[in-house]
Amino acid sequence: MKKVWLKDWFSFFVVIIICLVLLFIVSAVLAVMVRGIPRIAQSLATPEIQFAIKLSLYTSLVSTVFCIFIAIPVAYALVRVDLPLKFLINTLLDLPLALPPLVAGVCLLLFFGTTNFGAWLEGIGLSFVFTVKGIIMVQIFVNLSFMIRVMKAAFLSVNPRLEFIARTLGCTPAQAFFKITLPLSRNGIIAGAVITWARALGEFGGVLMLAGATRFRTETLPIALFLNMSTGDLDGAMAAANLLIIISLICLYIFNRCGGDFIGDTRGI
Amino acid sequence: MIRLSAVSIKLGDFLLDNINLTIHSGEFFTILGPTGSGKTVILELIAGLYRPDAGKVLIDEVDAANIPPEKREIGFVYQDYALFPHLNVFKNIAFGLQIRKISPSMMKKSVKEMADMMKISHLLGRYPGTLSGGEQQRVSLARALIMKPKILLMDEPLSALDPNTKWVLCEELKKIHEKYRCTIIHVTHDFNETNILADRIAVLLKGKVRQVGVSREIFEKNGDQEVAQFLGIGPIKKAFACSF
Repeated sequence: MKKVWLKDWFSFFVVIIICLVLLFIVSAVLAVMVRGIPRIAQSLATPEIQFAIKLSLYTSLVSTVFCIFIAIPVAYALVRVDLPLKFLINTLLDLPLALPPLVAGVCLLLFFGTTNFGAWLEGIGLSFVFTVKGIIMVQIFVNLSFMIRVMKAAFLSVNPRLEFIARTLGCTPAQAFFKITLPLSRNGIIAGAVITWARALGEFGGVLMLAGATRFRTETLPIALFLNMSTGDLDGAMAAANLLIIISLICLYIFNRCGGDFIGDTRGI
Repeated sequence: MIRLSAVSIKLGDFLLDNINLTIHSGEFFTILGPTGSGKTVILELIAGLYRPDAGKVLIDEVDAANIPPEKREIGFVYQDYALFPHLNVFKNIAFGLQIRKISPSMMKKSVKEMADMMKISHLLGRYPGTLSGGEQQRVSLARALIMKPKILLMDEPLSALDPNTKWVLCEELKKIHEKYRCTIIHVTHDFNETNILADRIAVLLKGKVRQVGVSREIFEKNGDQEVAQFLGIGPIKKAFACSF
């Protein structure tokens, strides 16, 4: 059947709005890409950008792995376990999501920089202030709530009866989780991991507060962009910005491909 | 033998109140009641999904309170069949055997025998999403029966099927019961299914057991007014009872 669109003035009006929004987003992104793309190969050869790429990849991958392994049990407990004060727990776990990243960074800076606990951690070699470990810590703190939310949605989409049936067939609760719920949440895990990684890669405010902005030390891609813009090196800034845009676009594509389907394996359906 | 002794449980606004039932070993027992009367909750209590707030569920005179579902030797067939969507039919049926670490050759043999009996051998490579309601029902039954459960719990297993498939499966359920002699507890709101299948029937209304007996007693004896109303009073009830 042929779709009839723009069939009335209202449809025409909302389509115009969509076009304007698209135009605005694409123009803003293109403004950076048009300037940056021709010089990106040249910028990629500079040691500073190479350092920033390596550090960004390392910190974002480590923090994403931490987020996955923490978010899965937390989200499962929130969805399946009858916890007291669940609303309060949910609200508190969502707090980092609502905090401006700068504030999150300040919270972590004070926590690790001024408390006895922070001093004790430093004593055993876990120093987070103005270090690479600090970058990872900020990325975990800022993104964990998001990963928990995605995993909660993924677990909620799995019929709890399936787990119970697995129990009647001889599974322990852990076996039922690993053999049924987790495989059926696979798409949610992939989608959550990809978008968490993209967000970690672009994390700036919190990193600036806790890890600082030191060239060749805590210089991730967003920090490189900030430092180069501050010193007027537009080529370096555009290279970092373009890399972040390209990575974001790829991640968004993967997220939308996986994230739209949390019902697990749909082969044959 | 399964005995529910003064079992009560509150789930949200719903209250299952002071349930006393005895189901004998090898019996085909049907719990008959309208939607929302608590039939599924009784099955889930027996299966171990819930613990009663008061009273006891006894399986072979042992209090089941501390027996987890995986140790109760039960099979469960839900109304929506609850097949594992990421596993094909073979893997769905073999799931319990795999958990018990049965050897692959033995597993293959058992699944083949069960699939032959349930007439689903041609479906073993298919995924649940591609099966019809009747086929899913057979797979779900096969998955439960392959574990040789002592108790088979069936939650309105025929309600989503077309009339022809329903009566074919009714006959097969009777044969399965005759072959395995396991205790079957079957819940439904369908009087016809009840009459064809049940050795004994319990009528459940608003979370309370209102009448227990064989088919003729339930449909001919006057229970209280609400039971009579649910079963269809006066001439309708009599005409219905006579047809079986």
